[in-house]
Formats: sequence, C-alpha cells, structure tokens
Amino acid sequence: MLSAALPTGAAFLREHLRAPLTLVLLVAIPAFFVLVFASVLGEFATALGGDLAQRAATSISAGWAAAFLSGTLAFFQVSSSRGADRRLALAGLGSWRVATARIGAAVAMAVAVSAVAFATLSLRSGVEHPAHAAVAILAFALIYIGIGAAVGAAIRSPLEGSLVVMLAFSLDVFSGPRMTSEGGIAAWTPTRDAAELLVAAGGGMASPAADWLAVGGAAAGALAVALVAFWLGSRTRG
Amino acid sequence: MAFRDQRRRPLVLVLLVALPAYVVARSIAQTEATPRRIGLPGGLEATTTMQDLHGAVMAGAVIAFVAGLVGVFVMQSALAGDRRLVVAGYRPGETIVARLAVLAAAVTVAAVASVAATAVYFTPESWTPLVAGLVLTGLIYAAIGALAGAVLDRLAATYLILFAALTDVTIVQNPMFGSGTPDGWAVVLPGYGPVRMMVDGAFSASFHAWGELALTLGWFVALAVVVAIVLRRAVGPSG
Repeated sequence: MLSAALPTGAAFLREHLRAPLTLVLLVAIPAFFVLVFASVLGEFATALGGDLAQRAATSISAGWAAAFLSGTLAFFQVSSSRGADRRLALAGLGSWRVATARIGAAVAMAVAVSAVAFATLSLRSGVEHPAHAAVAILAFALIYIGIGAAVGAAIRSPLEGSLVVMLAFSLDVFSGPRMTSEGGIAAWTPTRDAAELLVAAGGGMASPAADWLAVGGAAAGALAVALVAFWLGSRTRG
Repeated sequence: MAFRDQRRRPLVLVLLVALPAYVVARSIAQTEATPRRIGLPGGLEATTTMQDLHGAVMAGAVIAFVAGLVGVFVMQSALAGDRRLVVAGYRPGETIVARLAVLAAAVTVAAVASVAATAVYFTPESWTPLVAGLVLTGLIYAAIGALAGAVLDRLAATYLILFAALTDVTIVQNPMFGSGTPDGWAVVLPGYGPVRMMVDGAFSASFHAWGELALTLGWFVALAVVVAIVLRRAVGPSG
C-alpha cells in the first residue's frame, strides 16, 4: 500500500507547491501571525475580557496560523480533486491508496507550516517547553485537516466551503481558552485542549497527562475523519 | 443568469449573512467597555470604549475577508466559463456587467448582515459614513480578491486574501490596537480610507473624512477598472 501511496503523495505535494507564491505564503503567513498578530492578540484578548498573557498569546497565534492554513488546504484537496482522485482510483491505485496519499501530502504540509510557526515563535520569544509547543502547534494543524476535509466532503463549491472553514475558524478563535471571559461553547471546540497545551507551554507551565491524551485523541480523530473524507472523494461508483 | 447561478447555491447566501452576523455580534457582545482614546480624521480625538470601537470597525474586518473570497471565486468562475458565453452570442460587456453585479450584490448582502448585527449593540454618531465605508471596504476587497483569483490558484488566492485583510483592516487600520490612530505609512494600504470613514461616522457628529473618502473612491475606481479589463481580456476574441 505504502509503495504506491508514497510517490502519489509526493506528486500531490508538488501539485500544491507548483505555484511559487503558495510556498511563499506558507512561510510568510505563519511567520506573520506569530510576529505581528501575536503582538496585538494580548490586547485583543484583554478587550474580550480574557486573561491571555503576552507570551501565551504569541504561542497560540502559531497554533491558529497552522490551523487555518492546514484546514484550507485540506478543504481544497478534497473539493478540487474529486475527479482526478476518482480517475486515479479507477486507473488501479484504489480509493484507500489515493486517500492515504492525500493524507500524507496534507500532513507533510501541516508539518512544514507548523515548523515555520514554531521556528518563528522560538526566535521571537523563546518557548520554555519547546517540545510541548511544537506538538501542540502540529495538533492544531492536524485537527484542522480533519475539519477542512470534512467540509470538503460535504460541500463541493469552493466559495461555500472556504466560508464554512472561515466560520469554523472564527467560532474557534472567539471561544479559545483565555480569549474571553465567557464559557459557552469553549468547552466543545475541537482545538480547546491543544490551545490549553500551547498556552501552558508559552507560559512556562507543564500540562497534565489528561490534556495530552485529549489532544492525541482529537488529532487522531481528525485524521480519521480526513481519511474517510479523502476516501469518499476518490470512491468510484458501480 | 448570473444571479440564477448564485440562487442555485443557497448556502452562499446563508453564509454571506451568517458569517458576518456571527463574528460581528459575538465580538461586540464579548468586548469589555474599557476606555480608549483614539484619533479621528481631521485631527480630532475622541474618548470611547473598546466595545464601541469593535462596533465601529469589526464589520469592516469581516467584510474584507468575505468579499475578498467572493471576488476570488467569482473571477475564477468567470475565467472558466464566460468566454463560452461570448462565443454563444452574449456581448462581452454583458458578461462583465453580470459578474460585477454579482460581486456588488454579495458585498451588499454581507454589508446588510454586518450593519444589522452592529446595530444591535452599537449606535454610531452617523450611520451614513459608517455604512459607506463598510460597503467600500467590501467592494475594494472584492476587487482585490478578483485580481488574486485571476492570477493565482484558489489556495494561494485564499491565503493572500487572509494575509491582506488581516494585516490591513484587522490590525494596521484598527484603532483598538497601538496608539489609537493608524501609523503614517498605513495610508498606502487600501483599507485606510474606508476604515477612517467608518471611525469618523462612528464617533464624530459631522463628517471630516473628505480626504479619506477621495482616497477610497480612488482605490475603488482604479481596482474596478483593472478588474473590468481583466474580465474583458478573458472573454474577448483570442489571437
């Protein structure tokens, strides 16, 4: 399975990086989020009644950058590639191999985006728990791969789908931990545990094992959702 | 026909209303009434609260994103299919006007939803400049999105709109951050004029943003002309 999926996954990766500006933005946006947005995020959180400290704000901006970029990418991978993926499956690759290749490409991009965000975070303000922060940022990206892929499986139109991804991202941002003084849906957002990890890492605090398990579960669940979404997109009929 | 195409996808209409309404309403409702001193057009100053500031500018931030995305995908749809319409007998001008009308209508729907959500929590000194600034923000970013959609693939164009709208309208022009007045260099960004109009309408009883209005209209006309040219070249005869 992997011997066929790996070269296909590499081809999918090249497909997205064919446009030089995409590569530039994949580096620039996470760096921008951490360098610029983080400086105002603390003020923004205070305005909303939250208590996000400056260092934690810098950390969480890295997670959100990785999340939005990965979610948008996964959405377009599913919604834009249905026809091509079905033809690949019909040509002999099979739906599961195509789905595995797509997941591989999405995860590779997520790792790259997360790495840029983490590197910028480390250079800008340093992180007292770098391993924790790196894992949490990657978790944000992986969770949003699941969200973007699920949206892509349900919604074919690129405009509607990208607006839904933006709506999901907005719900998440406004309900993030320490961002507001309210409870509400904050307990149910998919990145809540990853955000808590990232805020703790940014603030120099360790996190309990339960938080790690929750993040691992959320990321694994999201990747499973993404795998099913990619499989559905490449499934041949009849 | 262009509007029939959009009506076939009711989810777009729902999202053009729901996304701005949710983000605007949620952000204003959650914001604390912390005092804040800001600079207004014309060199004036005003003391207001962070909540009222959010009421004045949040709609602009959302509409920039939404309109930019609409612009990207309307342009890509036009590039994919409008040439065939011209070959089938439509005049190029008809297809261009149709696409521009769809952009304007989408911006209007998002603007109405944003204004309605804003009105629940915030009453500006004058609605006219605030609404005008909001609509012009949407039209400018719809044009920017259209141009991005013409030269980039959908992923890169979406990322570019995120980057542009976040930098310009959400951060640089936002009086909630920094000193309360945009830095001098902010004037070169497209969001400067319309956001200053919105701030002036929100907190000033009389209109002082004439220079900002002229700058905004300049941006809008220039971008609209370029979008029309791109669309015309896309549907015109080849060779």
